[in-house]
Amino acid sequence: MDATVSEFIRRTVLKIPRDEIKVMLQKWGFLSEAQLQTLNFHQLKDNISQEVVQLCEENSAGIKQAAVLDIIYNHIYQDKRIWSVYQMKKTGEELECFDITDFKKKFKRRIRSALKNVTITFKEYEDNAIWIRVAWGTPYKKPNQYKPSYVVYHSQTPYVFISASVLKSNMPLLCQALIVASNYHDIREMELRSHSLNSLKDIVFKRYSQNFQTYTTKPLQGGNVEPENADIRIVQENRGEKERIYRLNQEAFGSGPQPKLEFAHYRLETMFKSDPKMDVLDKKEPFRCLVKFSSPHLLESLKSLAPAAIEEKSVCCVVIPISGNHRIF
Amino acid sequence: MAEEAPEDGGTRTLPSLRRLSRALPFGRTHGRLGASSSGRPVVSALCSQESVDPQKTAFLLRKAWTLYSVTPLYRFRRARLRDYARLLSAFIAAERHRGLAVAVGAEMDIAVRLSSLAELRGTDLDQAALLVQLSSRSRASSRSSEDKPVWSGWFCSMFGDDLSENIPEDFTSLPLFLSHGAESYTALVGSWFQKTFDCCFRRLAISPQNLSWMVAMWAGCGLDTAASAVELVFSVPRLAQPLDIFYAIHPEDAKALWDTVQKTPGEITQEEVDVFMDCLYAHFHRHFKIHLSAAKLVKVSTAIASAHCDGIVKILHSQYLPGVLMLLTELAISQIQ
Repeated sequence: MDATVSEFIRRTVLKIPRDEIKVMLQKWGFLSEAQLQTLNFHQLKDNISQEVVQLCEENSAGIKQAAVLDIIYNHIYQDKRIWSVYQMKKTGEELECFDITDFKKKFKRRIRSALKNVTITFKEYEDNAIWIRVAWGTPYKKPNQYKPSYVVYHSQTPYVFISASVLKSNMPLLCQALIVASNYHDIREMELRSHSLNSLKDIVFKRYSQNFQTYTTKPLQGGNVEPENADIRIVQENRGEKERIYRLNQEAFGSGPQPKLEFAHYRLETMFKSDPKMDVLDKKEPFRCLVKFSSPHLLESLKSLAPAAIEEKSVCCVVIPISGNHRIF
Repeated sequence: MAEEAPEDGGTRTLPSLRRLSRALPFGRTHGRLGASSSGRPVVSALCSQESVDPQKTAFLLRKAWTLYSVTPLYRFRRARLRDYARLLSAFIAAERHRGLAVAVGAEMDIAVRLSSLAELRGTDLDQAALLVQLSSRSRASSRSSEDKPVWSGWFCSMFGDDLSENIPEDFTSLPLFLSHGAESYTALVGSWFQKTFDCCFRRLAISPQNLSWMVAMWAGCGLDTAASAVELVFSVPRLAQPLDIFYAIHPEDAKALWDTVQKTPGEITQEEVDVFMDCLYAHFHRHFKIHLSAAKLVKVSTAIASAHCDGIVKILHSQYLPGVLMLLTELAISQIQ
């Protein structure tokens, strides 16, 4: 077995937490159940990984199989990577049947026509997600298995989620291959990035309960603002105001858990308008700004801005158009 | 005699008459003398034509300097720089021997150099800047050309003559100290100066109000080359999940806004700064319904310089170096008084 392959497998197994190793190897399915039984999972991880490599050698593992193990690891630990969202565009309205075999063939062909030294691996999951792993090399060097790019594509949607490798120069080729393989004609990056792939999917596939546009006819009870006080003599100050803020928040954010966004960027090219009394700038051209919000959990943070603002005596109502178009004109 | 800087400027001494005619201190225009918003004649000073020799000051640019205010030095003699360098070097060696200092390799010595920068001063009443440089020198070689700089710090007074006018003879006023390099070296150098010259170093924090002044002033300066954006960074700390807001404005648009706001030629007033900031806040609020005035301004950045509320600045253009240093000197003096 190739030394690079065994080293790669060894390092991949080392990354896995000890209690997860058996399950992951079972998911991988490359080693037989009998072989897995021979493994002692109660020793140092170093030793476990050496034993796994040895078993893989018995089965003559190649880079293809090792790459599949890598996909499995990254699928389970997807939140360790930063994902960006790209949207693909079609010209016509023709509904084409998606053919996975055709997609894979076209994708590989497009990439290999530009770069011979690549490792391309696919894995399909039950939620109709196609995971693609690409390890990049150069015309003179074999692919670097430790810095691959990952693409997650749901074929019935025009969205792809990309966790690019640090070798950024390969992005154009990757994007090209995606549109060629999926029969789109254009792809552009959306201003959405997060560690949480599921949250990005929630936002882009509109799976969460944000409901700006709908008007709730049944007013939400002003409950759950504060935990019930046992002592009824303690009256909440500003209870009315707090309830109003809570209701506004619910309308804007919904009551479910927020998708876990970490960054949001907005490019503003609107006209600058000011109080005429102030006698300031009155240009005919747009006032160009770039605004970025960032937080470990952006939407929760924004949601808590309004209630927190009570203390600051200035009420902030947050209206952020998260999904859809991010260029504000 | 070490002057203890008061925590808050409440007990500040009255500004001298000379200072009043020029301006009230930076941002403090609700003067206790009843004078409202006297301006600062900053514009002309910032855009000074007689810039300092770029060669000599190149090392100052594009580095992140940590700011301190320093009380006047007692019995500091400019002629004794070589002696001081030797003493400081011995002090550092002793501290390292005691195991208190930084992990420079055992084969390395720390060489100390003190020098004066005569050009870095505002008027002749200012003291010339004093530069302290620490470099690591391999014990194998004693040639100074092979020294690797590890830390630098400099004392400076730019138009800080108001302070030096009032101090007794034996004191040297260099109220602003800037350091770049490992914190442990800063502590070593600082404690030697404090012991030797009976002075007191304090980190110079920059309040959001002062940061607003800086961004307004610097946004208004024209540059020949393509300028980078005017950036403001806000932090909303007291939430369950902290939130950072980064607000960048195209430099031409920011300058255009400032040009319409700033009415008095050659002078900038607190009102003008407030209007400028309110405009930016209002534009933001229109789109996001967030009151930036309720968030904490922690960093500002323009093509000329950037400043962080923890007292860290980076100066990017030699043309405006005197102007920026003048602002910082004044901040340092306010903190001392």
